[in-house]
Amino acid sequence: PSIPEGIPGDRSTNRDGVLVDEFGLPQIPAT
Amino acid sequence: MAHWFHRNPLKATAPVSFNYYGVAGSPAANKICNDLRTTRARLLDMFTDSTCNPEIMKNATDAYFSLLQGFIAALDGTTQENKMRFIQNFKWTDTLNGNTPSAQQDAIFELASMAFNVALWYTKFASRLAGKENITEAEAKDVHRSLKVAAGIFKSLKEVHVPRLITPAEKGKDLEPRVMDAYIIQSQAEAQEVTIARAIELKHNASLIAALAFETANFYQKADHTLNTLDPEYSSKWRKYLQLKQQFYMAYAYCYHGQTLLAGDKCGEAIRSLQEAEKCYSRAEALCKEYRHTSGPGTTAKPSEQLFFLKLGGLIKNTLEKCQRENGFIYFHKVPAEAPQLELKASYGLAEPVGFEMPSVSEQCTPEVYATFDLTKGAKNDKGKPKEEEVKPVKEPDLKPQKDTGCTLS
Repeated sequence: PSIPEGIPGDRSTNRDGVLVDEFGLPQIPAT
Repeated sequence: MAHWFHRNPLKATAPVSFNYYGVAGSPAANKICNDLRTTRARLLDMFTDSTCNPEIMKNATDAYFSLLQGFIAALDGTTQENKMRFIQNFKWTDTLNGNTPSAQQDAIFELASMAFNVALWYTKFASRLAGKENITEAEAKDVHRSLKVAAGIFKSLKEVHVPRLITPAEKGKDLEPRVMDAYIIQSQAEAQEVTIARAIELKHNASLIAALAFETANFYQKADHTLNTLDPEYSSKWRKYLQLKQQFYMAYAYCYHGQTLLAGDKCGEAIRSLQEAEKCYSRAEALCKEYRHTSGPGTTAKPSEQLFFLKLGGLIKNTLEKCQRENGFIYFHKVPAEAPQLELKASYGLAEPVGFEMPSVSEQCTPEVYATFDLTKGAKNDKGKPKEEEVKPVKEPDLKPQKDTGCTLS
């Protein structure tokens, strides 16, 4: 596994339970 | 990622000495008054200090507000009004009305006006940082957060503090709901601009970008409509900015929606979407020119000559040409007369205001010290009445956008 970036608080989930970054964008780009 | 944001001027205020000649009847009460004067002066200095950052601003704000709360919160265990709330007259100019100040003898007016300036500072800090040529991810996060903090302060003022004023704000003043609403929505929309740029950079899918751009355009439209009943003399320039951003993000939305349509083999509709993007872009360009030639409060700039603007023009042109080429070779679709209806809901990237909380009352302001303030003492001594201070305009560091060449040195 890759080394985690940032601190745990950077990441959260949106209403649908998808992991999002600080900007509210999905963690894994969809393309 | 270089952004450009319109900014109205900071509010200006007259100095306040907090000298109450006899009212403050103990050394501890005098110390509160002295500290109010110095923490207020320091906070005012921070607004124009180009080395100030959000941490320094928060500390300076908390230092002053925790003491000012001693003139607002009930300290004697009753639900009655704080006896010190109406002792001092405060003068503040408004962001849209030039140098004519509003004045209210009310500590809540001071709290709301000062907090308003703190929020403006966050928007200006974000603007300075976002205008840099090669912004880092950490800086982008700072910009995004600062704009959400600003939105949160404006929102809390509108919902919690301003309704407590005895005298409601007049039309076009900062503390009236329309003006506060426009600032809230603008701050959210600008935070989303940063998110859109990031989504493009990280190559998120086109439908996500189109939806967020569409919602951002709607935010700008909402902010513009909020101001449409104000006097055009002072609101026109700001409104031109909101209108040009609306058209600009509609162009983004149609451009990325076109890419989604093309990916779904709807080439004719994709072409029509890109053509609509071109129309919105032209309207945005015309509004940029009108913005430049509209006089009014705020920054001056040539937005249509900056990289962020020119980049989108190139993207629309290339995407449209790509669609047309593919239609000529593969699809042979008829281009519909009507532009596609954008009914896009963003599931990602919407910016919510960060909740703003006042600091708790300073430890200096105990009920015992509060009891040593005696309002009956001050009124007898007219000679000691402090003279009225003048409101001098704020000398702000120039916020001209930096020249953005788009060159990257590596």
